[in-house]
Amino acid sequence: MGEVILTMKGIDKSFPGVHALDHVDLEVKKGEVHALMGENGAGKSTLMKVLTGIYKKDAGTITYEGADVEFNNPRDAQAAGVVIVHQELNMLGHLSVAQNIFIGREIKKGGLIDDGAMNAEAAKLFEKLNININPREKMSRLTVGKQQMCEIAKAISHEAKVIVFDEPTAALTETEIEELFKIIRDLRSKELGIIYISHRMDEINVITDRVTVMRDGGYVGTLITKDSIKDDIINMMVGRVIYEDPKTQSMVPADAPVVLKVENLSAGKMVKDVSFELKKGEILGFSGLMGAGRTETARALFGADKKESGDIYINGAKVEIHNPMDAVQHGIGYLSEDRKRFGIITEKTVAENSTLACLEEYMSGVFINRAKENKVAAEYVEQLKTKTPGVDQLVVNLSGGNQQKVVIAKWLIKDCEILIFDEPTRGIDVGAKSEIYHLMSELAAEGKSIIMISSEMTEILRMSDRVIVMCEGRKTGEIEIAEATQEKIMHAATMRN
Amino acid sequence: MKRFKNSVLVKKMGLNRVVLLGVLILMYIIFTVLSPDFMNYSRILSALNYAYFLGFLAFGVTFVIGTGGIDFSIGPVMFAASLIGGQLLTKNGLPTILCLLVSICVGMLFGVLNGFLVAYCSLPSFITSMAIMQLAKGVGSVFTKTQSISWPQGAEANGWYRNLIKVNIGGMQVPTGLIILLIAAVILSAVLTRTKAGRYILCIGSNREAVRLSGVNVKKWEMLAYIICGTCAGIAAIFYVGAYTTVQPGLGDTFNNEAIAGCVMGGTSMAGGLASIGGSFIGVMIVSLLQEGILAMGFQKDYQYLITGIIVICAVYADIRSRRRRN
Repeated sequence: MGEVILTMKGIDKSFPGVHALDHVDLEVKKGEVHALMGENGAGKSTLMKVLTGIYKKDAGTITYEGADVEFNNPRDAQAAGVVIVHQELNMLGHLSVAQNIFIGREIKKGGLIDDGAMNAEAAKLFEKLNININPREKMSRLTVGKQQMCEIAKAISHEAKVIVFDEPTAALTETEIEELFKIIRDLRSKELGIIYISHRMDEINVITDRVTVMRDGGYVGTLITKDSIKDDIINMMVGRVIYEDPKTQSMVPADAPVVLKVENLSAGKMVKDVSFELKKGEILGFSGLMGAGRTETARALFGADKKESGDIYINGAKVEIHNPMDAVQHGIGYLSEDRKRFGIITEKTVAENSTLACLEEYMSGVFINRAKENKVAAEYVEQLKTKTPGVDQLVVNLSGGNQQKVVIAKWLIKDCEILIFDEPTRGIDVGAKSEIYHLMSELAAEGKSIIMISSEMTEILRMSDRVIVMCEGRKTGEIEIAEATQEKIMHAATMRN
Repeated sequence: MKRFKNSVLVKKMGLNRVVLLGVLILMYIIFTVLSPDFMNYSRILSALNYAYFLGFLAFGVTFVIGTGGIDFSIGPVMFAASLIGGQLLTKNGLPTILCLLVSICVGMLFGVLNGFLVAYCSLPSFITSMAIMQLAKGVGSVFTKTQSISWPQGAEANGWYRNLIKVNIGGMQVPTGLIILLIAAVILSAVLTRTKAGRYILCIGSNREAVRLSGVNVKKWEMLAYIICGTCAGIAAIFYVGAYTTVQPGLGDTFNNEAIAGCVMGGTSMAGGLASIGGSFIGVMIVSLLQEGILAMGFQKDYQYLITGIIVICAVYADIRSRRRRN
C-alpha cells in the first residue's frame, strides 16, 4: 500500500426525512483494496454516489490526488479517474464488446466509426488484464460474469485510478469469482485504489487490506483485515454477534401432510420435467448455480409464465393455475428475486404496497379503509423491523433491504399458506438477514410451508429442512438436511447429463 | 420560501398544483389589465362553456394516462356520441333524456372496445386509440349520412338539457355546468384516490408486472380505465352541444391535445402511476381561460395553441425535475 489517493472527510447528506450520511470518513491508499461494509441502509451506496457526483453532498470534503474536488456528475468523475463498477451493469446488449467499451468516445476514421481500431484497442486492453473475451462478441451473448469483466476493462480504459466495486460477486459463479479476484490483485499491484463493497465475509477476508464499517449513515471504524476476525466486523456493523450454525436435522414431523405436489412441470428451456413435494411446516431449499432454472420453476408454478405441462396438487386436490391470480387465490405467494422490477410499486407508500395482494380485506364499502391499512402496515413494519420514517413513506426512498421487507410484509398480510421466497436475502445486510431467517423459522413453526430459492450455500444449509438441487432445468438432487453437505449439493448442482 | 413550501395549503394540494393555481390567477389578472373590459361576466361564462366538455374529456383521459396509456380518440368519440344522440333526437324524434343516455352509452361502448384491445389483446394504446379515433369519426359520419347535427335550442320543448349548462334565475345566468363539473371532479377524484379501482389503476401505471405478480386482475382494471374515459367522453358530448349546439362529423381531434395538455399541466404523469383530477381541473381552466382571453384580445386561435404548447413544455419539465429530485 502506498500513499493516500482519496480522502472523504465529514461527508454529510440528507434527503427529505432521512439523514443518509452523518459525517462519514473514508480513506483509500494507492495499491489497496479497501472494503466498505455495513447493513442495508448504512449508507454505502449513498457515499459512493456522493463520490462520483450522482448526489451533491451537504457538507464535508473530498480530497483526490492531493487536491479538493467536487464532481458534478459521473462523467466528470470518470474523466478524473474515479469509476464505479455497478451492481446492476449498464451494458448495451445489442452492441459489441468493443463498442460498449468505447461508447461516447468512439475511435473514428474520416468521420465514420472505426470498428477495426476499436476491436484492436479492446483486444490490447483484455490482454493487459489477462481476460479472455472476444471484442467482436455481442454483449448480450456474454454471461453476467464476462459482462462484468468488460465493465472493469471499460473502467481501466478510462485511466481509472480509483475503482469502486459494488457487490461485484452477487451474480458470479465460483470460477468467475476467482478470475475477478485475480484481476483485482493485478489492479492492486498497479497501484490503483480499490473500494470493495460486499456483504460476503469470506471474500472480504481473502481480497481486502482494510475494512471500513458504516452503520445507520454514520462512520463506525476502520480495521486492518488480517488483524481482525469476522466477529469484530459484525459487531461493528450491528453491535451484536451472530452465529450462523447450519441446521442439523429437519424440523418437520415425519407424518406431516404434503401441502404441495408438483408433477412433471415443464416450461421452456429452463424447466424440464421437474417434480417435487412440499410438506406442511417445511422449509424446502432450492439450490443450484445461476441459470439452473429455479426461478423459472417457481414462476411456472406460480402461473407467472406459461407452462407446457405439469400437474399441481394442493392438499391432495388437483388445481389449475394459469396465472398469478389463480396461484394467489390458492394461497401461494411469490417473492420475486428482482424486487425493483417485480416486487415494489415505486410511486406508492409502504402502506399501499403492503396491502396490494389482499386489498379486498381493507375496504369499507366502496372506499379503501386507510386507517385499517395503515394499522396493519405499521404492525408489520414493527414485526419485520423495517427502517422507515413511517408507513406513508414512499417505498422508493427506502434502502434495498427495507424494500424487501415491505414485499415480504405484503405476502404475510395476505396470509399465504405456501410461500415461495426467491433469493430472500440478496443484497441484504447481516442484521436484516438474521431477522428474515428468524421470521422464516417462525412461519414454518406456525405451519406455513416455504420454498426458499437461494444461491448462498450457508443460507441453504442453515435454513432448509430438505434441499432440492437443480442443474440446467432438471432436478438433480434431493437431500435431507441431516445428510446434506456443501460437496453433495455442489456435486448435484454441476451434474449435467 | 421554505415556509411556503411547508405551509398547509401546499402540503394539502401539492406544490405543483398551487403553482398552477397561481398561473391561473396570474393569467386572469394579466388579461384584465391588458383589456380592461375583459372580465365581464359573459366572458367568464363563455370560458366556462369551453371548460365543461373539455373538463370531462380531461377527467376521463386522466384515468387512462394513470395506467401508463394514452387515448387519442376522446374528441372524435365525443363527437360521434353527440352526432348519434342528436340524430335520434332531431330526425327520429326520440325523447331528450333517452338521447342523452344514448350519447353516454356510445362513449362507453367506444371505451369498452378501446379497453378490450389494449388490456386483453395487449395492443399498444398509442396505435389502438388512434385507430379508434378514426373509427369514431367514421361511425359518426355514417350514422348521420355525413350531415352535421344541431341539437335543439334552450327555448324549444326538448331543449331543457341546456339547463345543465346554464340556468336563468331572475335575470342572472347561473353556470350550473360548473356545479356539475365540480361534483363530477369530486366524485372522480374520490374514485382515483380512495377506491380499489383507482388504487389498482395507478399501481398498474407505475409497475404493471409487480401488480400482476401480486395476484391482481390487471386486465380488468386497465380496461376499466378506458371505459371510464369513454363514458366521460360521452358525458362531455352533452356539454359540448349544450354550449355550441352544432356538431360536424369528422372533427374533434384538436380537443384531444387540449384535454391531454390540461392533464399534464395538472401533474398527471405521462409515464403512468401519478395522476390528479384536481390538477386536470385547474389545467383545463387554464386552457379555457387562455382561449377565451386570446380571442377577446382579437388574436387568432393559433396563438392559443402556441401558448398552450409552451405551458405544457414547462409543466412536463417541472414534472420530470420533481421526479428526479424525489428519486
